[in-house]
Amino acid sequence: MKYYTKVFWGIVITIFFGKGQSNAQVSNTQIKGFVDVITSYQKNKSAFTLGEQDLFITSDLSDRLSFLGESVFKYSASSPTLFDVSIERIVLKYNYAGNHNILFGKHHTPINYWNDTYHHGRVFFPTIYRPLMFSTGIIPLHSTGLSMQGLNLGKYRFGYDIMVGNGLGSTDVSDNNIFKSLTAAFHFKPIDGLRIGASYYRDIISSNALSTHQNHGGSVNSLSRTLRQELLSGSISYFKNKWEFLTEASMAFNRTDSTGTAQTSVAYAYAGYRIKDKFIPYVRFDWSEYGKNEIYFKKDNTNSYLVGLRYQINYLAVVKFEYEHVSSKFAGIVDNYTAQFAIGF
Amino acid sequence: MKIFRNINNRACPNKIVLIVVLLLCINSFDVAAQDVLGVIGNPKGVPSKLATAELKSVMKGEKQRWKDGTKIVIALMKTNTPLGQSSAKKIYNMSGDELNRFWLALVFQGKTSAPTFFSSVSDLEAFVAQTPGAIGIIKKEASNEAKLIPIDGKKEF
Repeated sequence: MKYYTKVFWGIVITIFFGKGQSNAQVSNTQIKGFVDVITSYQKNKSAFTLGEQDLFITSDLSDRLSFLGESVFKYSASSPTLFDVSIERIVLKYNYAGNHNILFGKHHTPINYWNDTYHHGRVFFPTIYRPLMFSTGIIPLHSTGLSMQGLNLGKYRFGYDIMVGNGLGSTDVSDNNIFKSLTAAFHFKPIDGLRIGASYYRDIISSNALSTHQNHGGSVNSLSRTLRQELLSGSISYFKNKWEFLTEASMAFNRTDSTGTAQTSVAYAYAGYRIKDKFIPYVRFDWSEYGKNEIYFKKDNTNSYLVGLRYQINYLAVVKFEYEHVSSKFAGIVDNYTAQFAIGF
Repeated sequence: MKIFRNINNRACPNKIVLIVVLLLCINSFDVAAQDVLGVIGNPKGVPSKLATAELKSVMKGEKQRWKDGTKIVIALMKTNTPLGQSSAKKIYNMSGDELNRFWLALVFQGKTSAPTFFSSVSDLEAFVAQTPGAIGIIKKEASNEAKLIPIDGKKEF
């Protein structure tokens, strides 16, 4: 812990007393946001649903130091007001040289393309909902900690993220154990529109650890023993001209001394084609398979496919219509018809 | 019948003239969307000449600093102006709407700072002149040629 404390204060001193203060600009603070509303039909029942209100703020504090904050207001049955506010991101970024940055705060864990690119920006989502792998507790969506980042380096626009975080089981304000999570990710963009990436994540999760704050819509089992987790992920995305293609896969290796290593695999593939400028028909396939000796994730083996149509009114407004067929171990077969109106402002 | 024939004879050239005028109007809109553009930059940080690939990389937010360490600040005309639309098409190969979406997504991801968008060229020029590291796109004219930065050796693109 002393080591991390020294690193932290070293960075703070560098930020506030280091180079780059002479060229300070006026803070150009901007506030933007996203809102969505949904209507759905499932099992002979229709419903209207209020989505999230996502506010994000960006501000250049000097020519090297910037801030990004993101808060989400959403329905919560457990709240006295039936609404909760969650801090999704608080990131202080210091650009120390060229395209290399140090970031401190609560981040989207830079494991996957979707998590890092869209997250709560539903007007950007190519489909109505996130892929299955981001709503089943498998991917640690948020991490609070320190990261080093490089972007668009060299001819093939190489990028990297190395992050040390509090890890699963901890909260935004404290760590529940002495172990830190480690994320190492890289990507490159050899041609316009194409991005290829891979990542490695490891953490040691203590018994009885809380594990919900990093996840959205997914829950995991309470642990009676310490678990060592490793995630290997890969992604390929291509968004150019009329074609849209995105696929990601993750393999999780959860190991305890008594149960051995359980391997879980999740993946999805999305494809869309732009017709008539504003219309994009699309398809997506999701798949998850859990190891038989898995004790941390809920073993809800699932397959789903969806077909949809996205109508891009303009860059701040989009309407989507979807049919989704889900076949899962727990819920059986479910057919969903959903429409979403998402806006940015 | 003769009267009708005469009318028709007159009407046909009129229709042709009308069609030609309409085509010219449409074509003139197209020309407006394809303005000859030039690049201006603040002397602090911005190089005295650039290659097209480097310009596009800078304008897409792929570089955060110039070689001397000065922060890159991008100045663009708003995409609802003819010059803004020309800039979107020629530099980004996007429509104005696509360019707005491109920047909103990048800023939301925390990858870069948003460009500063202007409604008037004079405001853009003044901003670039006053801001270290600022680079902007304007319409090339005889009066401003002297201050334009050559791109691949040419002061227009």
